[in-house]
Amino acid sequence: MCAGMKGDVVILMELLFQLPKQTKEMLKLGLGEEIKYCVPYDIAEDGSFQENGYIVVTPKRLIITDGDRIHYDRNLKLLEKIKCEPLVNNGILIIKEYAQNYEKRIVRFTMHHLTRVSFASKGAERLRDGNVRPVESIEREKTCLKCGRALPGTSKCPKCDSKLVTISKFWSLVKDYKMGLVLMALFSVGTSVFHLYIPEFQQNFIDKTLKDKTGSTQDVLVFVGIMLLFTILLIIVEVAKNWWFVSLGARLSMDIRRKMYHKIQELTLSFIMDKRPGELMNRVAHDTRMIQRFMQECFGHMFSCIIAMVGATAIMLTLDVKMTLVSVVFLPIVFILSTAFRKNIHKRFHLQWVKSDKINSSLQDVISGMRVVKSFGKEQSESDKFNQLTEEFAVVQKRNEIFWATLYPMLTFVMSMGIYFVLYFGGINVLDGRMTVGTLVQFSSYAWILYGPLGWMTHLPRMITQMVTSLERICDVMDEEPLIANKENAIKHEIQGDVEFKNVSFGYKSYEPVLEKIDLKVKKGEMIGLVGASGTGKSTLINLIMHLYEIDDGELLIDGHNINDLDIESYHSQLGVVLQETFLFSGTIYNNIRFAKPNATQEEVIRAAKMANAHDFICKTPDGYNTYVGEHGHNLSGGERQRIAIARSILNNPKLLILDEATSSLDTESEYLIQKALERLTTGRTTFAIAHRLSTLRGADRLVVIDGHQIAEIGTHNELMERQGIYYNLVTAQLEMQSLKHEEEEEAITVA
Amino acid sequence: MPKKKKGSVAGAPESGNNFEEFDLEKMEKETEEMLRLRFITKDNSVFERTEGGFVSLKMGEEFYPRIQVYHAFPFTDRDSYISIREADEKAKEIGVIKNLKKDISKESREMLEEQLRLRYFTPTIEKIINIKNEYGFAYFDVLTNHGACRFTIHMGGGSVVNLSDTRLMITDLDGNRFEIPDVTRLTSPELKKLDLFL
Repeated sequence: MCAGMKGDVVILMELLFQLPKQTKEMLKLGLGEEIKYCVPYDIAEDGSFQENGYIVVTPKRLIITDGDRIHYDRNLKLLEKIKCEPLVNNGILIIKEYAQNYEKRIVRFTMHHLTRVSFASKGAERLRDGNVRPVESIEREKTCLKCGRALPGTSKCPKCDSKLVTISKFWSLVKDYKMGLVLMALFSVGTSVFHLYIPEFQQNFIDKTLKDKTGSTQDVLVFVGIMLLFTILLIIVEVAKNWWFVSLGARLSMDIRRKMYHKIQELTLSFIMDKRPGELMNRVAHDTRMIQRFMQECFGHMFSCIIAMVGATAIMLTLDVKMTLVSVVFLPIVFILSTAFRKNIHKRFHLQWVKSDKINSSLQDVISGMRVVKSFGKEQSESDKFNQLTEEFAVVQKRNEIFWATLYPMLTFVMSMGIYFVLYFGGINVLDGRMTVGTLVQFSSYAWILYGPLGWMTHLPRMITQMVTSLERICDVMDEEPLIANKENAIKHEIQGDVEFKNVSFGYKSYEPVLEKIDLKVKKGEMIGLVGASGTGKSTLINLIMHLYEIDDGELLIDGHNINDLDIESYHSQLGVVLQETFLFSGTIYNNIRFAKPNATQEEVIRAAKMANAHDFICKTPDGYNTYVGEHGHNLSGGERQRIAIARSILNNPKLLILDEATSSLDTESEYLIQKALERLTTGRTTFAIAHRLSTLRGADRLVVIDGHQIAEIGTHNELMERQGIYYNLVTAQLEMQSLKHEEEEEAITVA
Repeated sequence: MPKKKKGSVAGAPESGNNFEEFDLEKMEKETEEMLRLRFITKDNSVFERTEGGFVSLKMGEEFYPRIQVYHAFPFTDRDSYISIREADEKAKEIGVIKNLKKDISKESREMLEEQLRLRYFTPTIEKIINIKNEYGFAYFDVLTNHGACRFTIHMGGGSVVNLSDTRLMITDLDGNRFEIPDVTRLTSPELKKLDLFL
């Protein structure tokens, strides 16, 4: 997409800062001892900001430098613990040496380096353990290390990226519209030529027809007629031009949006999870709109303006050099003035925006928290708070409007100041006979062409920067390579249901293992219950089976084939997945069930719904299978949504079934119904199920307890109960809770 | 809640196993402890500096080789309700010092104040040298009580918070915090630079 960007250095978190030469010499690195991580710290022992301290990690040593001295230097093998500990708005690096029985803090740093240090300390621990695989920093810099500017969520700094690169990126986005751009240029040149020609024509008329009083009424009529024709032509060309710009912008942005959407779908889940919610949405919606706006409001006009301005100056120079200079002299002054004015206006209106934002959020607060406000009887005090906010807003608004109303006419006057000078000097020239009236009129027309777009031009730098920023953010997504892609000769394999984990390790962040050395062989048709405390990696295991992430180490075999060799799309289409959050798309129940198999017949859908115990409630809704669900749609209970999701997953007749907390947070009745649905569903299918409520897993052939990144226990319910290990504790604790609840209920009944 | 010495469980529904009696007492004790507010005073505690630059605490039988010190009211009341916690990730509360000035010895207070200064890092802005405003970000160049500093904030809401009418808290892109304790004490050119955020 954003071609030609290959080989660019992407700014991920910098973990290898360049040490000053002197400092490096001081380290006395041994032969072949290479610096693996080098990150700065910036708070001195006394709490003041510091600049020249570094944490250096080599495969052998951990060294802390402080200016021109070594603050700490130990062999990694002597260190039991190297830990970055976040505090409030700063962090410390803690060391525990084997020889000492206490933890020691050795350096302190601001949040700017916190993540960096945590990466480096993980890296150091890894090197100590003989693991040479480097820690990869997937997090990004927030500010450009070169120029200090904030990065707009991109991996490259829009400012430091050379202009040439930006242009080539822009070109790569618009290159499919070459003809459109040529037409755009023609339109621009056309309108400019028109604008430039009209004064010339007027001059001829004034000097030749009016001044000499040689012309007749007919000449005047002809002139007016031709002027009218010009005006009409100009309007037509302008309209056509604008129409063209707008349609080009719209088509272009649609194209980018389409490409981005496609790309996002293609990208690995980890890329999407990395982003803040809404950020990708913003990139598709907002950033493409910025490109569109740039194309239609800025790009074309920029060229017409520049052509017109250069043309006007050239013609003016041929007419009168001195006067041209006089009129040009004011250009920079006006430019500076209007920039200053714009900044001031921006500042004022930003304040107004902040105030209105406050009002909005307070409104939202109170309206969504109305129940709380009312139940605590706080209506009056909330009203008072709101009144104060609106008053503040009104004051700012009034001040701004007055300012605008007073200053804007003045500014317009200042903007056209240059014209008055042209008129003054030109008038004198005319009186002295050095210039004709027609030329003066012509001259002043060109001066207008010169000064007219200035106000608009002051916006140009901002618009261009916004466009470049959006461009960066778009290219950022487009350049991302999906981590999981089909191999060249991917197999379209029909799943039988044998799953085998061979020494599998995985972590979302390379320095933080979630699963380590998992070995598990599951036979076709077996139901595996995954048990463990939250955050132990049950869902992760399932994510790996779903092939949403690439495993770090080891092999995952499906019917003996490495999962990486299988065709992704074909593999996914054979999975049945019911997740904890049952996401239904906006649309009818019918379409939601058909999601995985859009060509399913009505009968198939009804059968699936029957299997999932969903058919009954669906029929009872007034609109049956045509009931609209999703946002603003029919309100379904959690259990109902869950059963639709189950129907959706059965429809495909999947060979591999994944249930992630499929029955959590349901009441007993719906759980029973879903339980029944699931029992029918799991027979004959390899099933992986996660459940907090252990009773849900009673049908499982084997239970796998995950603890401490590994499989801690494995076996049937009875085997594990006999073992009296983790599973036993979990079961007893849950039963205890249940019996307590029962007793309380019973007691409540007897009291009543 | 009904008091019950020991809880017994009927058994797992499908296997018919009968479970051993379950130690409810231990669980309840733990819960009680979590709910209790225990005050630390000079009479029941001994604080000591550790070699590693932290502080240890001895309370009767209990000994904590390293403790963490938290403010309960870091903005409004830095001397009251200091929460003393264990040093591990769970940071279980050991106890609370109601008043740092009155309830413990001067030496202990100094130790704990050191730890608080270590934990909370919020430089106070003493002089604003420049604020540059560019495309949605503001670049600050300031002098703080911890030395000169440059930082960047996001212009769109949330970066500058009014703690009171005159007190500002500024959070930069990385999550560092800076405080202006009293904006009225700034000079008028400084105020003008800060205009947008007031």
